[in-house]
Amino acid sequence: MHNHIDNGWKSLYNLNKSLRERQARIIEFEEAMRMKTIRKALALVLALCIVLTLAACSTSGTNPNPTPDPTKEPPPAAQSESGNEPSGGGDGLTANLTLATYPVGLMTDEATVKALIADFNAVYPNVKIDVVYLDYANGDQTVNGMIESNNAPDLIFEGPERLVANWGAKGYLVDLKDLLVPGTYDVTSGSCTNAAGAMYELPVCQTAHCMGINKDLFTQANAMQYINEDTHTWKSTADFLKAVEAVAAIHPQVGVVFCGGQAGDQGNRALVTNMYGGQYTNAEFTRYTGNCAENVQALQALYDVNGIEFDPGIAGGDEIKLFCNGTLAMATCWNVGAAKSDTQGKTANFEIFPMAFPTESGDPVLQGGIWGFGIFNNGDDNRIEAAKAFAKFMTEDEAQYKKIVEATGYWATRDVSGLYEGDEIMTEYGKLVPFMGPYYQITLGWPEARTAWWNALQRIGNGGDVQTELDAFVAEANAAAEAAEAG
Amino acid sequence: MATSKPGSMSRALVRRETIAGYLFLLPSLLFFLVFVVYPMVMCVVTSLTNATMTASGTSDFVGLKNYIDLFQDETFLKALLNTVIIVVVSVPAVCVFSLWVGARIYNMKNWACSAFRVIFYLPVVTGSVAVTVVWKWIYHYYNGVLNYVGTNMGLWEKNINWLGNEKFALGCIILILFTTSVGQPIVLYVSALGNVDQTLVEAAQVDGATDMQVFWRVKWPQIMPTTLYILVITTINSFQCFALIQLLTSGGPNHATDTVMYYIYYSAFTLYKYGYANAMGVILALCIAALSAVQFRLAKSES
Amino acid sequence: MNTGVKRTSVYRTVTLVLIIMIAVVIFLFPLYWIVTGAFKTPAAVNSSSPEWWPKEWTMRNFDELLSKRSAPLWEFHVPGSEWFTSDNSQIVFFSGPVLPAAFRWLINTVFMSVAAMVLTCATASLAGYALAKKRFIGRAVLFSLIVCAMALPKQVILIPLLREMDGLHLTNTLWSVIYPVVGWPFGVFLMKQFAEGIPGEILEAARIDGGGELKTFTTVVFPMIKPGVGALAIFTFINTWNDYFMQLLMLTGTNVLSMPLGIAKMQGEFGQDYGLLMAGAALASVPIIIVFLVFQKYFTKGITMGAVKG
Repeated sequence: MHNHIDNGWKSLYNLNKSLRERQARIIEFEEAMRMKTIRKALALVLALCIVLTLAACSTSGTNPNPTPDPTKEPPPAAQSESGNEPSGGGDGLTANLTLATYPVGLMTDEATVKALIADFNAVYPNVKIDVVYLDYANGDQTVNGMIESNNAPDLIFEGPERLVANWGAKGYLVDLKDLLVPGTYDVTSGSCTNAAGAMYELPVCQTAHCMGINKDLFTQANAMQYINEDTHTWKSTADFLKAVEAVAAIHPQVGVVFCGGQAGDQGNRALVTNMYGGQYTNAEFTRYTGNCAENVQALQALYDVNGIEFDPGIAGGDEIKLFCNGTLAMATCWNVGAAKSDTQGKTANFEIFPMAFPTESGDPVLQGGIWGFGIFNNGDDNRIEAAKAFAKFMTEDEAQYKKIVEATGYWATRDVSGLYEGDEIMTEYGKLVPFMGPYYQITLGWPEARTAWWNALQRIGNGGDVQTELDAFVAEANAAAEAAEAG
Repeated sequence: MATSKPGSMSRALVRRETIAGYLFLLPSLLFFLVFVVYPMVMCVVTSLTNATMTASGTSDFVGLKNYIDLFQDETFLKALLNTVIIVVVSVPAVCVFSLWVGARIYNMKNWACSAFRVIFYLPVVTGSVAVTVVWKWIYHYYNGVLNYVGTNMGLWEKNINWLGNEKFALGCIILILFTTSVGQPIVLYVSALGNVDQTLVEAAQVDGATDMQVFWRVKWPQIMPTTLYILVITTINSFQCFALIQLLTSGGPNHATDTVMYYIYYSAFTLYKYGYANAMGVILALCIAALSAVQFRLAKSES
Repeated sequence: MNTGVKRTSVYRTVTLVLIIMIAVVIFLFPLYWIVTGAFKTPAAVNSSSPEWWPKEWTMRNFDELLSKRSAPLWEFHVPGSEWFTSDNSQIVFFSGPVLPAAFRWLINTVFMSVAAMVLTCATASLAGYALAKKRFIGRAVLFSLIVCAMALPKQVILIPLLREMDGLHLTNTLWSVIYPVVGWPFGVFLMKQFAEGIPGEILEAARIDGGGELKTFTTVVFPMIKPGVGALAIFTFINTWNDYFMQLLMLTGTNVLSMPLGIAKMQGEFGQDYGLLMAGAALASVPIIIVFLVFQKYFTKGITMGAVKG
């Protein structure tokens, strides 16, 4: 085939010599043209660029995200109307909403979410809700993309570190204080509120992140003696370290300080701060204090003890997997949700025993997970009103509230009777919930601090000096906090 | 001769050519200007500001500050170095390996050649996310298959934390990149070698040339355009290596696997430093453009 | 003489065996692991000692994949309707039966890849020819612009692109992934390199024969650059198929997701469900492997860089 074409070319080549000459002439001419026109062409491109730039400026000038002043009060009509009519009378509200939900318990399950929406639509038949399912690996980027394309979801289901410290702080969310149901625990509502008093998350459910231990292995190593089984606490930090050594004698890999990424970092933060009573941030949640002497002591102890390794190759989710398949004897990124998960806790062929983090004082401070609704201000009062109606509908009435709490698989944020009655796992893990401490993840500069934290752990694991590396972490994190404050 | 008739004929021809040229270009140009040039210009503009994600959407002009900061940012320099290492190692490796495999399999029996092509192409079509997950498990510190085989065969004593060790992590990434990159070059080389002019090969063999001579003197020049194409696509792909890093190491341990691509993503979507990230993008784009141009020149002068 | 032949054949066998070993271990193993993993129980997938062959076969992963999300199999929109609705949504006038969303995701992925491939090949071959063979004002400038932009990483232009998609009312549609791929000038560059191999004489001859510009292109130029179009088609198809990053930020609703993205969005709170992931990957790679097997012959015949050298 190609030969055929080749022959064709050759004959044409011979036949059209004169044409070739003309072509040469054209090329010559073109060379001359190029010198003359190149300036013109350049000018053209420049002009084009300027026009494009102008167009760009004008679009950014008109503000791609028409978000009014975040401090602006929401339309007052919304609360009174929708609030006073818990059943029926929602016909007047017409809107198309988007609900974005992170995978909290069954909130990633279509059937569950659709059932909740159906309940809402029985009262508000004209509010149509589309659901965008998010995952923790890429959810933030997806939401950021939606915000940048002026397509932010109306409702979002997540926790304070994203709602309050991120999108709320950037001015995208609506203050939901007026929707807060009386009786909500103070520590919970406090976590959902920023320093200026704006509540960017309407809390729905919460849990305490804890540790999990392989009870079979601990019993075998005679390490259960270091544990108060009834309260799920360690007798002391020294006992915790003794237990690790004891298990290490029969099972070399007891635990890890995972630092391969930010996922699950609540685990190693809680471990480090609890051991000798250190702090991660100051009490006002404005600056990082992770380099305090207690934390240095804790990390040094973890580095020195047999059976615990610093692993920059894995993150929280991997640690859970390794714990469940028996490779590790304990997990620091544990919670009741993992225990109930088909792909995690349910795959373990040993008894998983939930534990608080080790402390000297016997008074552990657990990291909480608090999830709830945030509402984006898309510049349309009607949509905000409808979104608020949805959030209110889900949280106000106790029967409906119980449904959504059960869908998440965690505990309620206020006293609700009859929740999880007779559920063994929930009862057992429920003993840890009172240990929940302040939610310091809303400190400014959190994303940078997070990265700096696991990078510091990686360097410590590699033999870096603990104090030096923690100082570097705090310097970097505080620089970010200051920058965030100034910006 | 040529200058004697510069008159109406040539000018008409030029006009005609220009109109025709732009008409042919129009569909492509439309997409190019709207979806590449415009965002690109925006990107350059943004790189001169301190843009970030805020509800007000405003930003201040900061001149070249982002660029100056970049070259004082150790993480960026590390990322740049890693990117260069990935390109310098993987591009020649991919080209040489695919040429070798291509040369070995192109004249095999039909089914065998097909089978090999499919095997080498599989990682490309299986999708990067799934393949990466498998590799993550292969490299796994505690129960990965690589450590399982290695320690059992006595190649190394203790399990090695492949992705958690600064010394090995980048190499591991490059190996995966390699397996997902050679598929297409092999297919291309097989077809290029299959289309080499057989009369020339036979003529050379009649003249008593060895296999090696036939390959380098006769076949190699004919597959040169393929080589050029492979060089360009492999370079671009290596520079843009991103999903692997994100899924495996997040740039760690201690920035050992940070690439510019990943750092851009991190700066823009985690730290919201849009201006800074765009400045990085401009620098990266310039580097790639320069390299492509050099490759192009070299390959052209050779053929 | 005889021994020489023998030695060559021994050498050949050794290299052959070597290739086979490398190929099987490195290239085939991931696919094997994905396919078997799709049928393993969560405990087996998570097991600390590798389960080389599933002890217990389960359809649990496929059940999860097919039961957790649903979507209409197809939807036809009123073209341009997004410009007239209050919330920029498209008006659907004909949608398919509601089935497990995985099938829709597969259709979406194929659609994006094919549409990007066809559009790229069509526009790029026209443009490449013009750049190579037409002498017009601004040609050199345009070409340098193309070479520069060719290397541009998509991550860089993503944020402006996101805003632009909103302006064009393309947010959350498959076109928002397709158009930037088509705009990427690599195809034009490649086609130009090919078209340069066409001897000017042939074009002159076609012109003298009285063919119009478009006719010259379809009858003379296109057949000659066909091998290049083949290469470009495959390249574009695969790149769009694997363009996880772009899809991640452009597509959000369940109805417009691609396969890997859809599976990512089904992941729960506690790390990844690898079994589910592998079931999805197995399901998604089957069609493309079939396409590859069926069209292999065309690939070999079709793609050649050296065929058109003037």
